[in-house]
Amino acid sequence: MFGYVGKILRINLTDGKVTEDPLDEKTLRKFIGGRGLLCKILFDELKPGIDPLGPENKLALTTGMLTGIPIPGSSRFILAAKSPLTGIWGECPVGGSFSVELKFVGYDVIIVEGKANNPVYLWIHEGKVEVKDASHLWGKLTREVQRAVIKEVKDDRAQVGCIGPGGENLVRFANVLFGFNHFAGRTGLGAVMGSKKLKAIAIRGTRRVKYADEEKLIDLALSELADKGERSRKDGCYYPDLLDVYGSHVDFDDWQDSGRLPTMNFRKCTFPGADKIGREALKAVTIRSNVCPYCTIPCNKVYEMHYPYELDPDYSNFEYENGAALGSLIMNDDLGVLLKANELCNKYAIDVISVGGSIAFAMECYEKKLITRKDTDGLDLSWGNPEAIIQLVEKIARREGIGNILAEGVKRASEKIGKGAEDYAMHIKGMEMPMHEGRGKKGHGLSFAVSNRGACHLQAESDDLFYKIPYPEIGIDKTVQKEPLYTGPEKVKLYKIVGDLFVLYDCLPICRWVVYPLGGRRLGTFASIINAATGWDTTVSELMTVGERTYNIERAFNVREGITRKDDLLPKRLMEDPLPEGPYKGEVLSKDVLDKMLDYWYEQRGWDKQTGIPTREKLEELGLDGAVSQLKEQGLL
Amino acid sequence: MSHRKNYKMRRCENGYIFCRSRKIEQTMVVQTERKFILSNPQKCLGCFICEFACSAVKEKSTEPMQSRIRVVNLEPTGSMAIACVLCEDPRCVRSCPQNALGQSDETGVIIVDEAKCNGCGWCIGACRFGAIGLDPKKKKVVVCDLCGGEPECVKYCPFEGALTFGTIDDVAHEYRKEAFKKLLKEIDGEK
Repeated sequence: MFGYVGKILRINLTDGKVTEDPLDEKTLRKFIGGRGLLCKILFDELKPGIDPLGPENKLALTTGMLTGIPIPGSSRFILAAKSPLTGIWGECPVGGSFSVELKFVGYDVIIVEGKANNPVYLWIHEGKVEVKDASHLWGKLTREVQRAVIKEVKDDRAQVGCIGPGGENLVRFANVLFGFNHFAGRTGLGAVMGSKKLKAIAIRGTRRVKYADEEKLIDLALSELADKGERSRKDGCYYPDLLDVYGSHVDFDDWQDSGRLPTMNFRKCTFPGADKIGREALKAVTIRSNVCPYCTIPCNKVYEMHYPYELDPDYSNFEYENGAALGSLIMNDDLGVLLKANELCNKYAIDVISVGGSIAFAMECYEKKLITRKDTDGLDLSWGNPEAIIQLVEKIARREGIGNILAEGVKRASEKIGKGAEDYAMHIKGMEMPMHEGRGKKGHGLSFAVSNRGACHLQAESDDLFYKIPYPEIGIDKTVQKEPLYTGPEKVKLYKIVGDLFVLYDCLPICRWVVYPLGGRRLGTFASIINAATGWDTTVSELMTVGERTYNIERAFNVREGITRKDDLLPKRLMEDPLPEGPYKGEVLSKDVLDKMLDYWYEQRGWDKQTGIPTREKLEELGLDGAVSQLKEQGLL
Repeated sequence: MSHRKNYKMRRCENGYIFCRSRKIEQTMVVQTERKFILSNPQKCLGCFICEFACSAVKEKSTEPMQSRIRVVNLEPTGSMAIACVLCEDPRCVRSCPQNALGQSDETGVIIVDEAKCNGCGWCIGACRFGAIGLDPKKKKVVVCDLCGGEPECVKYCPFEGALTFGTIDDVAHEYRKEAFKKLLKEIDGEK
């Protein structure tokens, strides 16, 4: 087998047993790797209805075909399990050096099962797996753990992924830090690690993978590396030029200017203090950039600031989502507070988007007097109160006082608070809304509603981009390119194609910054790289089918957990309250419009219109016979 | 013992010492007139592209150990790529028990006589930069040959100024420019 190892490593923490399973090429070609492969494995292995924080849940890591091949954006891997936040499919694509080590560690997939009695960490290197005691690391902050582990394994080229106190305390949106600055951000997989008492995973990859036609592969890789955007700039929109300078926070000003910046828990859409925390303000405190292996876009920035808080550059991972979630969403216009809160989230390893969503929810409840100072241990939760923001992040991570309620995620918190608090909980399927405004870009709004991991901005891009840049090879041409506010069947068709495409990006896996529409690279390149590496004869249309197959098996996973059409919804606020200001003033994605879009959506997908469950014909067409029999068993087909 | 004195003298002559250890015989001297590849740790982000470009062009391989330039990535401190700096009277050449290594008078590159090299690795231990390596496939040592004056790694480096091909003074000039720019910025900022 070329391009893969063909082995699954299984580590049972309950009894410490380590086993190897074979992985056949047929399955690999069907799913390529990454997200698709993990969903297939976990769909087969996890029983429906299990407790995500119980020993029966499994945590799986895998790379994909492109990982380790020296082309920009290929250094990625996927972490997956059943999500404790949403109770459905939970996966995170992660970048950074960990991926390259993982690719060459000697296994394609690593599955962690069971639950250890005492804290442990894994050290996987040279085909050996060691389960080591981590009692002395329990309670430590993320970077401290990484340093300690690297010292203990005596290999400073090892890469460490670890949880912080957030994951230990089973905060439902705890995440995992891999390497210096890459988080498995959403869906709360840190809590899964915490529930297994797995503090860290250290790996060192020294086993290179064999490729079918290495010379051709190298030629293709060199030509990709030589392309510094010249080809893509012709499309008219080449995002990496801005990423170089500002990092992903470049979005902040764009959304502010176009009146689509989530502000005050989605009640407003422009932020008066935007200048103070916008891209230029961030640029002024940037001291350094970071880049993933083999990438030409240094999108990750390191910040330095001494006042009002001393910032630790060790914890300065920061993206647009962080800026909006801890900035405009909670009406915080103090850059120092914003970066400090962000640093705390990174220290404790909790998902910044969900933290921002939870704080915004708490602040709105406080404003509406659903909670009082008595509930908040004397904290004044008025909008943007800097002290309250910092304190709340700490409280959530440590599950103290009101933090204990918020750490359950806004859905559960709103149910607990009651008294109509559900209206202020901005979530889809239990996951807090990302910092994008579905009302001003309706296709993107639809993609939030139907996303397989709850409210997620990674399942599609904003409408404006597809409107500008065509990609006829996969069907994005004049017939489906409609203006951002259009909601007819063509728009839904466009987002069906985009949905498959973006799922495919996580199967390959490839970073969204370097590919269509933002970075310009097209699927044809990847098809030829995969062929050179594996000796297959895959095509662009076959790759798109892989995307669709993955989308369907993820849906089947969710359907098994009880997701139906009624869950494909937006928060009430987005469906009822129109945007109050800016160029898109008055826009709303009403329930009726969304319902119509959903009708087209299920039709396009070949799913049942009433229930939103994939039909037997569709699943069989995609070769998902296992899913058919499983769903039949449960009477869902 | 004669070379000890030599080193001491050269240190004063051209004023450029790269690596200094406690013992004077471990001092290395870079020649001022020779061009070589040097990375600027302030600009280098550790993307490993130079490493791949080298092994790809030279050996048609993705194996980093076949590369003549290697990247050290110490997150979050920083990163740097290291290739041969063409020392004068190089330790690798001196240490080779097989007399397989030599230095070109013209360019200063280390020449490996593959027929003589038996892969013992003494030169690797001798080089204070880790700039010479052992090819795991051929079992011969590999070291930067500057690609005949047009280094591929520099061509592929995506970050301007991170990798320079030039004399030590060219590199220092870049640093001076950087320092000057910073100074200008500070003056501007004060206005």
